[in-house]
This record gives sequence, structure tokens and C-alpha cells, in this order.
Amino acid sequence: MTSKLRKCFVGILLGYGIILVGLLYWQTYADLNKHSANPRYYQMFQAERGTIFDRHGETLAKSVEIDDKYVREYAVASLSHVVGYFHQRYGITGLENVLHDELIRGRQIYTTIDLQIQKIAQECLGSNIGAVVVFEPSNGEILALVSSPFVDGNLLDKNWSNYLEDMRSPFLNRATHGLYPPGSAIKPVVYGAAFREGIIDENQTWNDSGVLAIGDRTISNFGNRNLGKINIDEALAYSSNVVFAQLAIELDNSLLDYYRSFNLGNKVDFILNNQSGYVPEIVHSQYDAALLGIGQGDLLVTPLQMAMIASTIANHGIMMKPIIVKEIRGGLQMRKIARSEELGTVLPEEATRAIRRAMELATLDGTARSDAGAKLHIAAKTGTAQTGKGKDHAWFMGFAPSRSPRFAIAVVVEHGGTGATVATPIGTDIIAKILELVTERERYKVSDHDW
Amino acid sequence: MSSLYRTWLEFTVWFVCIVFWLFIVQGLSEWWQPVTLWFTFLLIYFITKKLGHEAHAIPFVAILVLVSWVFLYRLNPNWATSQFWGTLVSVIAYFAGLSGRFTCFDSPWFWSSSSLTLLVLTLLFGVRIGGAKAWLAVGTFRFQPIELARVLLFIFLGRELVEKRQPKGMYAILIAFFLVLALQKDLGPALLVFLSFCSLSLYVSFSWAKLGIYVGIAFSGFFSSLLFFPHMLNRIEAWLRPWKFLDSKGYQILQGLFALRAGGLIGSGLGAGMVQVIPEAHTDYLFAVIGEEFGLLGTWALILIYATLAFWGIKLLRGVDDDAQRTIGLGFVFLFHIQIFMVIGGILRFLPFTGMTLPFLSFGSTSLVAQFWMLGMLTSMGRKSS
Repeated sequence: MTSKLRKCFVGILLGYGIILVGLLYWQTYADLNKHSANPRYYQMFQAERGTIFDRHGETLAKSVEIDDKYVREYAVASLSHVVGYFHQRYGITGLENVLHDELIRGRQIYTTIDLQIQKIAQECLGSNIGAVVVFEPSNGEILALVSSPFVDGNLLDKNWSNYLEDMRSPFLNRATHGLYPPGSAIKPVVYGAAFREGIIDENQTWNDSGVLAIGDRTISNFGNRNLGKINIDEALAYSSNVVFAQLAIELDNSLLDYYRSFNLGNKVDFILNNQSGYVPEIVHSQYDAALLGIGQGDLLVTPLQMAMIASTIANHGIMMKPIIVKEIRGGLQMRKIARSEELGTVLPEEATRAIRRAMELATLDGTARSDAGAKLHIAAKTGTAQTGKGKDHAWFMGFAPSRSPRFAIAVVVEHGGTGATVATPIGTDIIAKILELVTERERYKVSDHDW
Repeated sequence: MSSLYRTWLEFTVWFVCIVFWLFIVQGLSEWWQPVTLWFTFLLIYFITKKLGHEAHAIPFVAILVLVSWVFLYRLNPNWATSQFWGTLVSVIAYFAGLSGRFTCFDSPWFWSSSSLTLLVLTLLFGVRIGGAKAWLAVGTFRFQPIELARVLLFIFLGRELVEKRQPKGMYAILIAFFLVLALQKDLGPALLVFLSFCSLSLYVSFSWAKLGIYVGIAFSGFFSSLLFFPHMLNRIEAWLRPWKFLDSKGYQILQGLFALRAGGLIGSGLGAGMVQVIPEAHTDYLFAVIGEEFGLLGTWALILIYATLAFWGIKLLRGVDDDAQRTIGLGFVFLFHIQIFMVIGGILRFLPFTGMTLPFLSFGSTSLVAQFWMLGMLTSMGRKSS
């Protein structure tokens, strides 16, 4: 009799146990807060939220009160891929989305973006389709990230249908999601791999006739240019496909390991979502290896990854984790600070010194040649990636000043033409203007201090 | 004993805070209602003890009723006032149950016929509200007879199951009961009565064959009712695929889940939830409102209170020597807790939503009266302390 009652009690308790677990699931785990049918989701769009700042305290996004409701206002349209937008009808993107839980609590977000550098990068890229990423090599902080074209977070209501119809996909963040073959811009990595494996040295020379036969197929230089007798630095500066194809054939599968060690083929550990790109599992043939060594074949990278390569070479071979949000402040003096983090040493310092020397030569006399580049000590490499149809993608990656790098950059112009004629002027221009800006700022700061 | 006084003390502090908040912050003119309720429960507690009964359930029931009052007030002060008067009437029902010796009154025909009469009256003169013809109106006063009818039925069933005087008659009464409920299209209570009866019958004498038969009846009843009641098909669809019917039949269940999720761990705070979007927030979905504003901590606390009441009920029944009395009491326990499982299970999408009240919490005076009457009768069964 008593044991039967106990069974009844256990049965009832079991029922309540299931309800407790069900409540735990529905109240703390179920993904319902951002569901489109949830009216709380819409109420949230009218509430005030935290401000997003650049690295000098300039406002990038803020809530403005209109008729008892708050609307988001953005400083520049070109940041719509980074800061994102926050709109009742069109949803949430970018940092507005990633940091939504902080922002609805009124917390302030301090990014590493430099609004003026962002504007410079956007103006220099102009109406071209493409992307620019600017890094501070020593700590991995992103100073500018432009993907063009972009939507204007302030004008979504007015332009939404145009954005949807725009064949150039203004919603696509090309810096993080654009997949391009890197072309010759990948050669500094091949150089580093060959240096590290000990298959090249400074005094070694090649006789580059402009064309390399591999079995019954050929690899040729841009415009079949005959470069004659060249050393490894000249091969990089003049972008010799013949030499780098030979290095890649010699490196074989280990080349792909170097690509992977530079995070190619992997998603970058970054607050914004990004594409992994593609690095093949293995090299299938000598011709295949040769193509991969000149950044063609199946190889695909994002501009963010290329900027990280430039930044890593500038930072003596130490790859830094990319940072775009530095601090979150709010509440009871709460501060969350993202610290610089090393992802590992990808190349030894001697290798990066050698690559740097070759990249300096590229600006002085090679494919990235420009007077401003030479004057400002820019180390750079261009790339002209063949696409199969339409014009080639133009690449420029580099850093400056080459002996003590403060800025690393990657520029891609989609179907723009050659790296030398299209991407180089843009990249050089951006670096020149950034250096001018910081010189100006430092002078200002000093005089300010004196006064 | 000392732990009980501690419960009272903690409860009093909590209660004073709530009343203070209502009084000061809200400029509440109905502040005397919760104060009266609180003194009423204090009185009930001491009178029950004075009469020599086990009174430990009262503080827990008091918490439920006062939480209910606070949330009804927060939704609409008129509902709180109505619930307040309902609670006072229920106190009479409680003492009637405590001292009326109803469960000792051995007259199968009285209990079964009064239960059925209430239902038939509803069928003949009832008012249809929300799909089911479940309301009886006397002047301006409206009540739901099924709430009382099922208590009457279980006083009858408990004794019949034990004494087995006329099994055929008992099944005939049951079938009549279900038929009338089916004609009223009131399927939630029908399922509740069915499940409680099965549990009670299996408690009296368990056999796998019997269990098999009940499961078979459940399935055939389920599928045949699908044929006869189109609104039941809607509920099943809303249960299985609410996302497909966001604006129509899935609306209520989704809004309930959104409210629960919005509450999170600690809730949005009393008055801060967006509960005006939940249909029937004061009856079917009061639990979701509490979930949004008091969070997981609040809902877990309520479930623990219900589980404590189950513990109290079973412990009390262990001291009951008379088989018939004990079985009737267990019938009340099943009616009470299975109703809770069905309501909260419906809100949490474990079961199709059946549209019943949550005992001691939801708005509805008939339900309160019935629950307090059952509580009184259950308490009266306990062994008297000298």
C-alpha cells in the first residue's frame, strides 16, 4: 500500500522533472529572441543602444531620437560591411549583430578602425569593385576595411530595392567573403617557403627566357617577357613565373603546408564571419604545382587573408590575430579589452628580411614601381590573377615603411586589369596618404604638447 | 516545526516587499486585497491546526494565490479584484470540504447523478465561449460546471474502484460523462478525467493487460475524435508545426514560448514584460507571463511548490487507513497534478494545448472553488493529531 503510493509520488515527480528540464531549454537555450514573429524583436529596434567608436573616439554609429523612437545613424557608408546596419525591416548585420547583446545594454564599443584612414582607403579605391584591408602589423589591429560597392546604412529605406537589383552585390563583404586567386601576389610566401627549405640562396641565378616547358605544357611570364639572368630578389620584383614555377615544383606538397600555415584554406579567427578560401589537399602534377606557385590553379584567398600575409611579413614572420574591437565599456565601470594575440611564428626572421628586400626592389624597379613608393620606402608585391573570363583581378599587397613597418595593406580590384597598372597606384596612394596623415597628426601632437 | 515558521517568515518578507512595491510605486488603491488575502491564509492555517488537521499545504497555496493576484493585477486590476472575491468564496469551499465529511458519504448514485446533472445542464443551457460549450450562466454570474463535476465524479469513482460493487454501472457512468463532454466539445477536461481515472485504476490494481487496454482506448479515442472535431485537428497542427501558422493557430503557442525565452534566467522584472501580445494571458498563459517577468528562477520556484504539494498530499494519504478514503484522496491528487502537467506541457509544446486553468494560479473562480474544496476534503482525511 505504502510502496504503491510511493510509486505514484515518483511518477508525479518525474512529470515535474521533465517540466523543469523543458523550462530550462525554452527559457535559456531556445533560439527565439530574434525570431521574425517575435514582437519583442521589433520593439528592440526602437530602443536606444550603445555607440560604436573608432580608435580615436570618433563616432561610427549612434542612436538618434526621432519621435520617442531611436534610429541608428552611421558616420560613413563604407563601414556598412564592418559596423553593419540595424534596421527594423532589413535586419541586423556586422558588429551591430555580433555585439547586439552588449549594444542593447547600452554599452559602448571601441573599435580599432581609424575613421580617417577608412575614408582615405575608400576614396582611393573610388568606384572600382574590390576591397582594401589595412593592418597595424605589430598588433594585428585593423585600421580600415573597405569593400566596394557598399550599402549606406542611413539610406536603406530609400535605396533598398536598388541595392537588391545591383548586379555588383553591394551586400557582399569582399574583404572577408570575396574569393579570388591571388596570382603573383602569393609569391612572397613561395619565396619564404623556398628560403626556409634551403633551396635558394642570394647568389643563385636563373636564366629566365620567358617560357618554361613542363611536359607538353608551358608556363610563361606576363607578356612572355624575357628577363634573362636574374637572382631570386629580381625574380620576385619582376614577378618571374618561370622561376617561381620551378621553385613550386621543387617544393611540391610542402608548398601547400606553407600556404596553410599562413591560414589560407582556413577561416580566420575573427569577430566578423569570413570565408576560408581554398588550398588543395595535394599537388597532382608538376604543372599543377607550377600553377599553385604562381597563385593560379585551384588556389583561392580572401583580401583579409592577403592583408594578414603582408602584415605577417612586416611583423618579422609572427602572425597576429586580427582585431577590430578593442574595448567594450559600460555598466558598472565594466571594460572588456581585447589584447593582441600571436597566432604563431610562420616564417623565421631571416626569411622575412630576405622577402622584404625583394619587395623593396619591386617598388624601386619592379612591377610595383612608383616614385612615391620608392620615396616612402614601401615594400610591395603585385598580382594579376587570371579569371578565365573578363579582365584579370588586380592585386597589391605590401607594407611601409619597409624597415619599421607601421601599416600593412592588401588591395584587390575585381576584374580591374593588371596589378602593376591598376592596383599599385591605388595601394601606393593609400599608403602615401596614410603616412602623410600620421606625420601631420604627430606634428600636431608635438606642437600641442609644447603649447 | 521550526522550518515551517521559517517558511512563513521568508514568505512574509517577500510579501511585504511586493505589497510595498504595489503601494508606493504603483499608487495602488487595491492594496487591502493582498493584505486581506494574507491574513485570510494566516487564519486558515491556524484554524486548520486548531481543528487538529495537517496544515502544511496552506503556506504553499498562499504563495500561489498571492503570486496569482499580483500578476493578475499587473495585467488588469479588475481581474485581480474578481480573483480576490473568488478566493474568499473558495475559503468557504475549503472549510466545507474540511468539515463536511463529503468523502465519507457513501452514496454512489448521489455523486454520479449530481456530476452528470451538472454536465447535462451545461449541455442544455450552456453558453459557448472559445470552441467549447462549457459555461453555465445564472443571472450575471457565470461558472464552469465541469470544474466541480469532475470532483464529484472522482468522489464516486474512488469508492467504486475499491469496493467494486457495480463495475458495469461505473463504466456506464464514465462513458456517459465522456459522451456529454464530447457533445460540449470540451476535450481538455475529458482527457484530464481519462488520464486521472487510468492512473487511479492502475493504482488500485495494476496489470499490464489493463494498461494495454487503456493505451488502446486512448489511441482509438484520439483518432476517432479527430474525425468528429475539426477544431481538435487545428490544435494538433498548431502543436506540431506552430512555425507554419505564425499568424493563426500557432500564434498563441509561439507567443508563449517567446515570452518564456524573453524571461531568460532571472526574468525581465515585474511589469517589464511585453505580455500584452499573449492571448489569454490571464487564464491559459499566466504561467508564460510569470516566466517572462520572473524568469527561470520564478517558474522553477512555482514547479517546486507544486512538487511540494504533491509530496504533502502523498505523505498525508500514507496515514489514511480507509482504502476508499485513500483512493478518493489520490484521485484528487491526480486530478490536480495531471491538470498542471497538461497545462504547462501544452505551453512548453510537450503536448497539444488543451486550454485549462493552472490550479491556484490562473484567473477563474470556479476553478479556485473546486481546487480549495478538494484541498479541504484531502486535508480532512489526514489523521487527526490529538
